[in-house]
Amino acid sequence: MKLQPRAVEEVLQGLKKAGVDFVSLLPDSDFSELQERVGNDLDFTCVPVSNEAIGVGACAGAWLSGKKPALLVPTSGLLVATWPLTSLCMAWGLPLLLLIPYRGDIGDAFWLMGPYKDTTEPLLRVLHIPFVTVAKTEEISKAIIDAQGSTISWQRPVAVLLTGETIK
Amino acid sequence: MKRFECLKILASALDPSALMVANVGPISREWNALRPSDANLLQVNLGLCAAVGMGLAISLPHRQVVILDGDGNLLLNLASLADMANQELKNVVHIVLDNEAYEGGGGLRSATAGKANLALIAEGAGIKNVHVATGLDFFEKAAREALQSAGHHFVVAKVEKGSVPELPTLTLDGKEAKYRFARYIERTEGKQILKPRYTHI
Repeated sequence: MKLQPRAVEEVLQGLKKAGVDFVSLLPDSDFSELQERVGNDLDFTCVPVSNEAIGVGACAGAWLSGKKPALLVPTSGLLVATWPLTSLCMAWGLPLLLLIPYRGDIGDAFWLMGPYKDTTEPLLRVLHIPFVTVAKTEEISKAIIDAQGSTISWQRPVAVLLTGETIK
Repeated sequence: MKRFECLKILASALDPSALMVANVGPISREWNALRPSDANLLQVNLGLCAAVGMGLAISLPHRQVVILDGDGNLLLNLASLADMANQELKNVVHIVLDNEAYEGGGGLRSATAGKANLALIAEGAGIKNVHVATGLDFFEKAAREALQSAGHHFVVAKVEKGSVPELPTLTLDGKEAKYRFARYIERTEGKQILKPRYTHI
């Protein structure tokens, strides 16, 4: 599955309109085109990491420096990121925009993704991370802008889950 | 070599505007006793000092960022060394106070008490300026040189276990530390971090 080309454009537009200027990511097949575009776009400081926990830490440092960070994180990587999402974001009250391709949502035919239906949404709730699930491409940009506004205002992470027609 | 003596040297050599990230445990308490400052980001939890320091250093390339790490702390997230090296940072001094133990967690041996060598790991990750100090004289030389030259420096200080008694208790929790640090950056960088005007809502 991949983020669809129109969805890639919507995400980029949403990130820019939301003022996101620092993006951390671990190479991921679902996000590969988006990640390449972000990496080549001078509007973003792009920081590739070797695990998503490092990405959360880097984003925390970036926000404390005045940047507006986002983490592109798959549903599997969200599990890796739980430690700093707890010990940094939750304990310190740090904002962070999480952009998550919802592998394992209903309709994902790959058996290995099945467990993420069980983990993703409960995990976000346990971590006190509000989220919005977006299934229509034309709703992506506004969802990102709204989520960014909320993460800044509430001083805690907010997630956008991309599913439905956005990822096939 | 005692950790507190290393930190005294560091405190005397450090520019007041340098940003400090230190890991949770005795290191933060000792550093706070020597240089209390809103430029300190103390008690960063296990495995995350290097990552947070990397985010600061990338975002504020004109500011010096010093990372005070412990061996157990760094061992939890060794891949952060590789990610930092690939950023080719010019403003980082990463000091690992290696007592070969999880002192804050009861004193059990860490992997550096066995076969692990953090300096070799850092070199293997791609960091070029790597030093190992086993005595105070060499630590002072390595720390001062690192602080005075641009680059990404990694200094392993092999220290004894044990802290200093009767140090002031750290009274800030993470939330207050966040506000203090962010306000300090706002003052010194002339930018707004907290509650910026948000035009979309």
